[in-house]
Amino acid sequence: MRGLLAALVAVSVLILMGGAAAAHAIYVKSNPASDARLTKAPTELRVTFSETPDARGSDLEVLDVDGKRLDQRDVTLVSDEPNTLRVSLGALGDGGYLVAWTALSAVDGHVTKGAFAFAVNAPLPEIKDIGPSAPPPTPLEIAGRALSYGGMALLTGVGFFTMFIRVPTAGAETRRERRLVMAGGAALIAGSALLILGLGTSIPQRLLLLLGLRGLAGAAALASLAVPARLLPADARREATSFFGLAAGLTATLVSHAAASGDLRYVALDYLHVIAISIWLGGVVAFSYVAMPSARADDPSELGRTVWRFSLTALVAVAVIVTTGTLQSLDRLVLIEDLIETPYGIALLAKVVLLVALLGLGAVNLLIWGPRLRRGLDASAHLWRGMVGETVMFAGVLVAAAFLTAFVPPAQASGAAFDETKHVSGIRVQLLTTSTLPGRNRFVVRVQQGLTPIGGAEKVALRFTMVEHDMGEQELVTTERAHGEYVAEGSPTAMFGTWKVQTIVRLTGRPDIHALFTLPVSQPAGQDATTRIIAVPPYQLIVFSEPFQPQAGAPLTINVVVVDAKGDSAAGKKVGATFSGPSIAGPLEGVENLAELGPGRYRFTLPGLDAGSWKITIILSDAGSGVYELEVGR
Amino acid sequence: MTRLVSLIAATLVVVTSFIAFGGTSAAHERRTIGPYQFVVGWLNEPAHVGLMNSLDLRVTDTRVTPAKAVEGLEKTLTVDLQTGGLAPLQLTVTARFGTPGAYNGYVMPTATGVYVFHIKGKVENLDIAEKFESGPGRFGDVETTAALQYPNKVPAADELTKRLGDLQSGLDQTRFLSAAAVVLGIVAVGLAIALTRRRA
Repeated sequence: MRGLLAALVAVSVLILMGGAAAAHAIYVKSNPASDARLTKAPTELRVTFSETPDARGSDLEVLDVDGKRLDQRDVTLVSDEPNTLRVSLGALGDGGYLVAWTALSAVDGHVTKGAFAFAVNAPLPEIKDIGPSAPPPTPLEIAGRALSYGGMALLTGVGFFTMFIRVPTAGAETRRERRLVMAGGAALIAGSALLILGLGTSIPQRLLLLLGLRGLAGAAALASLAVPARLLPADARREATSFFGLAAGLTATLVSHAAASGDLRYVALDYLHVIAISIWLGGVVAFSYVAMPSARADDPSELGRTVWRFSLTALVAVAVIVTTGTLQSLDRLVLIEDLIETPYGIALLAKVVLLVALLGLGAVNLLIWGPRLRRGLDASAHLWRGMVGETVMFAGVLVAAAFLTAFVPPAQASGAAFDETKHVSGIRVQLLTTSTLPGRNRFVVRVQQGLTPIGGAEKVALRFTMVEHDMGEQELVTTERAHGEYVAEGSPTAMFGTWKVQTIVRLTGRPDIHALFTLPVSQPAGQDATTRIIAVPPYQLIVFSEPFQPQAGAPLTINVVVVDAKGDSAAGKKVGATFSGPSIAGPLEGVENLAELGPGRYRFTLPGLDAGSWKITIILSDAGSGVYELEVGR
Repeated sequence: MTRLVSLIAATLVVVTSFIAFGGTSAAHERRTIGPYQFVVGWLNEPAHVGLMNSLDLRVTDTRVTPAKAVEGLEKTLTVDLQTGGLAPLQLTVTARFGTPGAYNGYVMPTATGVYVFHIKGKVENLDIAEKFESGPGRFGDVETTAALQYPNKVPAADELTKRLGDLQSGLDQTRFLSAAAVVLGIVAVGLAIALTRRRA
């Protein structure tokens, strides 16, 4: 039976892991990109998220500056790009456009919102504040989660306790055990039902399936109580009860933040965490409700031995909880201040404090009352009070866990090439860059107090200095593109190397906040590299595009550095380029701007290319030509 | 001979002027406002925290060649100095003695960082409301004196304030912990007495 149980668990993990993804869908990228200035109107909009959104509950609204909706309202999940929604666009004229997106997580039904803008031959429009990026959980959701976790803990913990710590023998004890299993099963059913009810008709199918399975596990636990003992003996029923608890725990893990990373290690850690906490907390309830009333009448030394066995189990469970919890926290918290500044951190801290208090009460049972009982002294009343206290705290832990799993963890996938957060004078300053390649880049600074964005900063500026060379200091001043989000574009990080980025945030009534970031600027290796060295004897051409990963319809620059046999840049050359690709693009002459670019550097400026593979033939008038291949993204 | 002496004297004056003032205007921001050129920066560059400094404002009228110093602006212009988002400090603008068209506004910056001179008022008939902010390509931020100190490093006022704040915070925490320890001690003693009585 136990082998079958283990096999079932393993198979369930493999089956259900298939669609695992994150618990909050966060904007990663889009086409048109955020703040893109296009010369040609796009025919569709695509937005990629950090996890799979559910198309039925998600939306992509494309609005003009007057708020008129211009998309075709045909939002679908695309098959050729992971985690991406698309919507068709009508014939867009020149102008600025606002995209307001709503993503419903296909994993746990959490809703996230955001907005960005793009423009076609026009200035970028202002982005309006669209409210919180992740609405707070509803009381229904919290109640559903807490009941579910309570049910899991009861089924798993009671099963474990009655199998390994103290097997109920007396009829009254068995009846109490059955009542607890009944309560656990009912809590699972009620919790799942509340969660389904809370999400309504927009519930994603995968989530519905997993919540349905969770409710089914509760129903199966209840049904097992109705099976006659001759068909299902008590020990087999306890194993089955534990299995239903473990199965329900697995459904919780598969819709948890742990799956966000897509990393099986974190999923395993989360599941171990759920199992350990269920065994401990469910065991406490089983001990105080099932065992204690009978055991108090027994020989005190026997009760003392039960305390010893359960305490050992609890110690192992606590070790697992601390290890798995710490490892998960390291992954989900950005800063230690998150523990007191973010809803997720506060819920985590509350849970930790309650667990520490539980541990303290457990230690009193293990070190004081247990030994007294084993010596034959009557300490059962003290033990009873301690167990009741633990049970009350257990309820608190479940509520804290319900909040914890419902809030957005501070560390969320952003899709940015560089993403770092600093905590300065009580303010979180987050710097994100589109790329870590040299040349033109987009710098996004998010200013928050806790997780509340701070809008209306008097000034947010970035100052760049290079570590390896004295390149002087350059400044970019940002503009507020969304509430608490400040954006600047430019080419201050023009060279490969290490750049210090001093971020200055000016808020009314307080001194400037300085946050220093170290930004490594380097060319990716392998297939992602877009800088090519093309031999045109006796010269070498170093060719790179700007941006390094161009998008269809967006302005593009091809840079060519002509280097002679001595390694010096060759000025005064005539450099041309012809284009061959998915559409027609006329030949261009390279411009050498000595004052701006320096000698031997030639630039081809294009309004934009269509998506696809392009072959660009670079012609050096007195030497020959070479081909530069460039992939233009959709 | 007289001509030669005059030429040498003139050359010396020019060279001395370059030596004396060349460095000052290098780290200043020049801005043309109407027919006037404003040159704004710190009188002592680089500016250091905790050391007396001043606004260095020079205004010339570019309609004539060579540009003519604009005098009397200490009566028509006001200058506010601001760092961060803090309330600004109004400087007392005075004409610099012996340098027509140059104005001072003394201040001792007590924090490192970016400073902004807000200049408002009138230059002849032209209304002025300009903001000159320290930064790259303009004039220098106020820097720490740490690199200049020898042999002992003395913390600057802002650093001292921060350290005092940290000390106060530490002291408050210690007080709280002490109070909590006293309460716990009293509770423990009470419990011990209660347990002893019960056993007895």
